[in-house]
Amino acid sequence: MFKKLFVSIATCLSLSACVSLNSVSLTQIPVERDNSITATSHSWNFLGIAFSNDFVDEAILDLKSQCAEGKLEGILTKHQTTAYFLVLKREVIATGYCQQG
Amino acid sequence: MRQYFAIAAFGLLTACARLDHVQIGEIDQSQGTLIPFNVQVSQFGFEAAAAAELGRAVSKGRTAEQFQQLRDILALMNMGPRTGNPVYDDEYANKVMDYIYAECPTGKMTGLTSVREAKAFGAVSGEIVRLSGYCIL
Repeated sequence: MFKKLFVSIATCLSLSACVSLNSVSLTQIPVERDNSITATSHSWNFLGIAFSNDFVDEAILDLKSQCAEGKLEGILTKHQTTAYFLVLKREVIATGYCQQG
Repeated sequence: MRQYFAIAAFGLLTACARLDHVQIGEIDQSQGTLIPFNVQVSQFGFEAAAAAELGRAVSKGRTAEQFQQLRDILALMNMGPRTGNPVYDDEYANKVMDYIYAECPTGKMTGLTSVREAKAFGAVSGEIVRLSGYCIL
């Protein structure tokens, strides 16, 4: 009985870890693409119940701090959701190129 | 009475923040001091099929059946790809540019981030378009 339950839970956990890509956007890509930076922010929620989307702003602040005094171009922004067992992870991943000087 | 408590609890629990789209624009910190600004417009969204489902849940017998039929018809009428609940004004996001210029009269801005999100309370929701960025002084 316990073994069957364990196998069922393990199967559910492994099958339900699925990623869905909600949105993608890209800005103009620069010629010089040496200094690539990435910022990620995420929010966990139970059964998809979330009360705020403020985690998005964390990614922007992180990008800003990684390219202080510079110009950040070619920003690829991905918004994705990963579904685990009963729990969802909402994530914003931003990648860009920092041009200093 | 229990039914109403269950519906109220369900409504409160589903007061969800939904995130549909995020776009982060180029951030130029080399031009001067950056002053953050934030602009948001929203519109009342209504999911008629969900409202009919609520009606079905609180009613009994023939009335419940009628609510169920209404729910199915409404669901079929609104079938198809969409972002969020339907709204009654499709131009509510048109004035965001005017609001942004009001926040940043020089027009020199950077780090423009657009977010499409919503605050949903069961059958109704606030369909939100939020734009934030930095005004270059």
